[in-house]
Amino acid sequence: MSKQLITLTVNGDAYEVAVEPQQTLLEVLRDTLNMTGTKRGCTAGSCGVCTVNGERGQAILSCMALAVEWDGRSLTTVEGVADGNELHPVQQAFLEFGAVQCGFCTPGLIMSAKALLDVNTDPTDADINVAMAGAICRCTGHIKVKKAIREAARVLRAREVSDGAS
Amino acid sequence: MARVKDDLAVVGKNWARLDGIDKVSGRSIFADDVRLPGMLFGKVVRSPYAHARILNIDTSAAEAVPGVKAVVTPEDAKDIWIGINQPLLPAEKVNHVGQEVVAIAAISEAAATEAAALVKVEYERLPALLDVEKALADNAAQLHAKAEHNIGWKQEDVHGDPDAVFAACEFVREDRYVTHPTHNCYAEYHVCVADFTKPGKLKMWTPTQTALLFQQSLAAGFKLPASDVRLLTLNSGGGFTGRTSTRPHHFLAAMLSRKSGRPVRLRASGDEEFIMCRAGGKVIYKLRSGADKDGRLKVIEADLLFDTGAYVESQMIVTLLTSKYIHALYPLEASRYRGRLVHTNNLPYYFHHGGGIAQFQFALGQHIDGLARDIGMDPVDFNLLNAVEEGHTTMEGAHYASCGLKECIEKTASLAGWKDKYGKLPKYKGIGIGIGAMASGAKGLFKHDTSAAFVKVTDDGKASLFVGLPDMGQSSHTAMAIICAEVLGITPNDINVISGDTDSDPLDVGAFTQRGTFNTGNATRNAALDARNQLAKTAAALLEADEATLVFRDHKVYPQGAEDQAIPFKKVVYQTLHSREGRFVMGRGFYNSPLEKGTMAYSFGAQIAEVTVDPGTGVVTVHKITAAHDVGRAINPRIVEGQIDGQIFSGMSQVLYEETILEDGQVMNPSRIDYKMPRAFEMPEVEHIIVETIDPNGPFGAKEVGEGPIVCTMQAIANAVTHAIGNQVTEMPLSPWRVIKAIK
Amino acid sequence: MQLPPFEYIRPASLAEGLQLLADRPGDVAVMAGGTDLLLNMKFRLESPKYLLSLNGLTEMQQVEEQPDGSLRIGAGCKLTDLANNPLIRDRYPALHAAIESVGSLHVRNMATIGGNICLETRCWYTNQSETWRETREGCFKTDNQLCHVIKTASKCHALSSTDTGPVLMAMDAVAVVVSADGERRVPMVDFYRDDGIEHTVLKPGEVLAAIVVPPPNGHTVFAKLAQREGLDFAAGTFAAAMTGSSEAPESVRLVMGSIAPEPRLMEDGARILLSEGFTDEAIETVAGAARSALSEVTNLFTPSGYKRRLIRALIKDALLQLRDQAENNNA
Repeated sequence: MSKQLITLTVNGDAYEVAVEPQQTLLEVLRDTLNMTGTKRGCTAGSCGVCTVNGERGQAILSCMALAVEWDGRSLTTVEGVADGNELHPVQQAFLEFGAVQCGFCTPGLIMSAKALLDVNTDPTDADINVAMAGAICRCTGHIKVKKAIREAARVLRAREVSDGAS
Repeated sequence: MARVKDDLAVVGKNWARLDGIDKVSGRSIFADDVRLPGMLFGKVVRSPYAHARILNIDTSAAEAVPGVKAVVTPEDAKDIWIGINQPLLPAEKVNHVGQEVVAIAAISEAAATEAAALVKVEYERLPALLDVEKALADNAAQLHAKAEHNIGWKQEDVHGDPDAVFAACEFVREDRYVTHPTHNCYAEYHVCVADFTKPGKLKMWTPTQTALLFQQSLAAGFKLPASDVRLLTLNSGGGFTGRTSTRPHHFLAAMLSRKSGRPVRLRASGDEEFIMCRAGGKVIYKLRSGADKDGRLKVIEADLLFDTGAYVESQMIVTLLTSKYIHALYPLEASRYRGRLVHTNNLPYYFHHGGGIAQFQFALGQHIDGLARDIGMDPVDFNLLNAVEEGHTTMEGAHYASCGLKECIEKTASLAGWKDKYGKLPKYKGIGIGIGAMASGAKGLFKHDTSAAFVKVTDDGKASLFVGLPDMGQSSHTAMAIICAEVLGITPNDINVISGDTDSDPLDVGAFTQRGTFNTGNATRNAALDARNQLAKTAAALLEADEATLVFRDHKVYPQGAEDQAIPFKKVVYQTLHSREGRFVMGRGFYNSPLEKGTMAYSFGAQIAEVTVDPGTGVVTVHKITAAHDVGRAINPRIVEGQIDGQIFSGMSQVLYEETILEDGQVMNPSRIDYKMPRAFEMPEVEHIIVETIDPNGPFGAKEVGEGPIVCTMQAIANAVTHAIGNQVTEMPLSPWRVIKAIK
Repeated sequence: MQLPPFEYIRPASLAEGLQLLADRPGDVAVMAGGTDLLLNMKFRLESPKYLLSLNGLTEMQQVEEQPDGSLRIGAGCKLTDLANNPLIRDRYPALHAAIESVGSLHVRNMATIGGNICLETRCWYTNQSETWRETREGCFKTDNQLCHVIKTASKCHALSSTDTGPVLMAMDAVAVVVSADGERRVPMVDFYRDDGIEHTVLKPGEVLAAIVVPPPNGHTVFAKLAQREGLDFAAGTFAAAMTGSSEAPESVRLVMGSIAPEPRLMEDGARILLSEGFTDEAIETVAGAARSALSEVTNLFTPSGYKRRLIRALIKDALLQLRDQAENNNA
C-alpha cells in the first residue's frame, strides 16, 4: 500500500512524515520520529504505557490510533511536558514522592495525570482513579503515584491563585 | 516511625532517585529503544501444541520472503542446551504450547511476521500431560528420559525426629493448599537486542535482574569465554523474579544476528509475552504441624508439589529456599520437607514476585493461623509466643544477629487496633495477620556469591561508583550512592553510579535473592572506605592529625572535635591526585558471606490486613494494610515505603486476582485486561512502620526490603478473609467464585 | 502486534462515505473510534481491503435536542464527550452510567457510542491473536462450522459486549440507520440478533448514524458486574426502565447484557413486575428467573455457576434501586 505524506505536530514542532495507513501513531512516534519516550507495551490498548495527549489534552492510546488520522493535528508526548529544563509540577511531584520505580510506565502515567490536571486542578480521589485506571503500574502499587498527583494538583492550584492575583 | 537516633549525615534521609529526572522526562533508554544501524527484527515460530513429535520443518517459503535475512532451525541449534533437559530448539519433540521451533530475522517486523506464517512444521500430536498430580501417576507417560514419574527434581530434608515430636503434640493440624499459575506482567514486555556480528563476541541489550548469570548462560550456550559476552542492561522495566535467567529468545536473537551478520531485535508481541516468561505454575502444598498444650509450635511437615512444566531450568532454587523457610519464623524441634518439581506439558515455569516463598507463606501462614485457632489462641498471641528472636539459630543454620519480628508484630497489632477487632468484627468483615522473614542475600546458591564495587574519586569532589547490581526500579543505585556518600562525606548527587555493562561491572550476581542492599551495599561501603583511607593519608598530612581521628562529612574533612580546622573534600582529593606522586584514588571493596552456606542477615515483618467480603459476589475489598518491617536500617525511608507499597500491591494482586487460566496447556487470558490485576481503584490504605534493628553485619545496619513485605501480604489478606467468612479459602487467587464456595 | 496493510479512505461527508461503501461491497470495514476494530485487525479477525473512517465527521458528532424533547445523539460522539455532556449526565443517568463503565477513560476518549452499540461479540477462543488461534481448529466466527464453547451448537455463541446497548433498549431508543439508499429507523429492541456473528440488523452498506433517545420519562437503572472498576469487560450487565409508581407501574422493560450473543429482553420478568408491582416477592422471582435463564456459557473467564448467582444478585439490587428511585420521586 502506498505511503501518505502527513504533517504531525508533536510538542509544538511540525514534522512531515511519510506513513503507511496501517502505521499506528505509536509506531510513527517511536520508529519514524525516533521519539522513544512514549513506550510500547501491549499494543492492544490495555496497558496505557503508550499514552500521549491529543490536541484537547486528552489521554490517547497511541497504539490504537492510526497515524493518518492525525494528519494536521497536534499532540504532546512525555518529551514535551517539561518547559525546557523546568519540570512540570506533575513530573516534579513524581520525583519527590517516590512515584517512579522502574520507569517504564512513567511516561504513560505522567501523560494520563497531565490530561487530568490540565482540565481539573482539584480532582477528587475518584477523579484520579478514573483518570489512571487505564494505565498500568506494577512497581509502585499506585499509592505514591496518587499522592504525587494530589501534590501536583496543589501546586497547580497555587499557581492559578498567584496568576490570578498578578 | 521510631527511628534510631544516630549521627548519619546522608543515610536515612529521603533522597530522590538519581535517575528520576530522566525517567519522568522520557529520556531513560530501555532495550526496545535501542536502534542500531542495519538492525533486523526477529520473529519466533512456536508450537501450537502442548505435546507433539516434529515430523518435518520446511522453511523454504519463509526464506523466499523479501527482506528475510536469516532463519534458524533446530538443526542450527543442535549443540545448544539451555537447561538440564531443554534444547534451545527441539529436534524431535515439542513439550509445551508456544515452544520455540524456528526463528526468523528480516528487515521489518511485517516481513518477519509474514515469513513466520509461511514456515511449515508438520506435527504428530501426542497426548499431553497437563495435570501435575496425574503426571506423577504410575501409568503416566514419561516426558524426559531421566525423570522417572516425571520428577525433574526432588529434595527431601529431615531435622530431628518429626514422628516422635508429632506423637507428643497435643494439637496437630493438616491442610492442603493450591496456588495457581501466574505471570509476572511487568510493564516492559520481553525484548532483547543481540549483536553477534563480530565473530566470537556477543553483545546484548536486554532487561535483567542479573547480568552476570545471563552472561554466563549465554557464554556456556555459545561456548565462549564469559568475557566475550557483553550484557548491557540499561534500564529494566520491572523484574519481579521474572528476569532472573536467560530464555530461548535471548539465544535465538544471538543466533539470528550471527547468521545474518546484523544486529537483531526480538520482542514479545502481545500474548507471546505470556509464553516467553511464565512466572509460577500450579503448586500443591500439604502441610502438617503440631503444638503442645501451651500452644508452643514444635514441628512442621511440608510436602510441596510444583508443576515445573515442560523443562527444568534453575527452578530447584525454590525447593532449597522453601525447605529452609519452614524454620524461618518459629524455633522448631523437628521438621520434614519434601519438594518435587514435576514435569508436565505446561509452560516451563519459573517464579512470580515472591520467588515461591511468598506463595508458600500463603499456605503456611493460613495453616499456622488455623492451628492457632484450633488451640483457641488469638493468632497475634500465638505468633508472639512462638516467633523467633534475636540470637536464634535455626535448625538449618540460619543465625539471626538482628531480629525485630516480635517488635513488628506488636507494632502492627497496636496500630491496627487488633485487640479491638479480632473476633469482634461483624460478619463478613475480617482482620488477619501475616508474618514473614527473608534472607538478605544468599551464599551457596550460585557459583559466584561475592559482590564487588569500585569507587573512583575525582578532583572536582565527585565520585563514580561501579557496581554490578542492576536497578530495575527498586532504586538500588540510589541506595548504593547513599552508602558511598555517607562514607566519603559527600551527597548522593555527587556520585555517578556506573552499572549495566558487564565489560566494566564488578562481580555481582545482581538483584536476585535479595542481595542488593546487604551484599552489594557492604561491597560499596568497603570500596568507599578503601577510597577514604587513601584520601585520609593526604588529609592527615595536610591537617597534621592522626588518620584515625578524621571525620569526612558535609564535603569537608576534619579531625574529630575540630571542625573549625576543616578543609574541603575537593582539596584533599586534588592534593592526592596532583601530589608529586600523583596517587589516583580508586577504592575497591567486596563482600561475601563468611559462612560456608547462607547469609548473615534476615529481614522480618508483619502485616495486618482488614477486609470486607461481599457475601453476594465474593468480592474481597482490602481496606487497609498495616505493615511493619525490620529492614535493619532504612537507607532511604521513602524508597523503603515505596517497596512496601509495591509489594503489598503485588501480594494483593496475586492473592485476589492473578491467575493464568490454562486449557489444553494454552494460556486463555494472555492480555493485560483478561489476566486480572488491580489498578488504581483497588489499592487499600497502607500504614508503614519501619523497624530498625541495626544489623551488625549490614551496611550501616541495613538489610533487604526487596521481598520481605510481599511474603506477609498474601497470607495476611487470606487470614483476614478466613476471619470474615469463617472458612479458609485454600486456593490462590481468592477469586470471587472461590470465596463464595467457601462461605459457610 | 501490527495492523495488516489496508487502503485508508476518509470521506468528506457521511453521504460520500455511504456511496463509497455501496461501491465496494464486502471489502470495506467502517471505522469510528477504532478501539474495537483495530484490535480485531491486529488479531487478524478482520483484514479489510479498505478502511472507511468516519472518525472526523463532525456531522456525526452532534447531540441535538429534538422538538419533541427527545435527544438525537450522533453515533460518532466520543464516549467521554457524552459523559461530560449535561444533557446526558443530568437527564439520562442510567445511560450516563453505562457510558462511564466502558473500558477506561483512555478508551472512552477515543471510542464512540456508535462503536459501542455495534461492538463485536466476544469469546475467549476468538478474541486472540492469529498465532494463538492456530492451536485450535477454527470456529463459526473464523472459518469453520463449530463452536468451541458449546460443542453441539449450530451457530456462534460469542457474547454481546455492548454496555450502552441494553440501556438504550430499556429506554426505547431508536437507531437511525443510513445507507446510500436512504434512512430507516430501527427500535433498539429490534437492533440486535441472537447470533455471535451477524449480531445486529445492519445490512451491508448500512451505517448507524445516530441514536434517538425519548424524552426522560420514569426511571432507569444500569448495573454492571465486573471484578474491577475500570477496564473489565462485563461478566453481566442489567438495564431496567419503568414508568408509573412502584406499586402500579405503567411500563417496565428489563434487559440483560453480556450473557448471550444479544442483549436479552426479560419479557416474563417485566410482565411479573407490571402485574404485581415492585414487591419484594416479585423482585425475588424476577431475579431468580434470570439466574435459571442463563445458558451454560463459560467464556470470558467467569465460571458459569458463579455468573448465574451473581446475575441474580445484580438484578435484585438494581430492581431495588429502581424501586427506591420511583418511591422517592413519587413521595
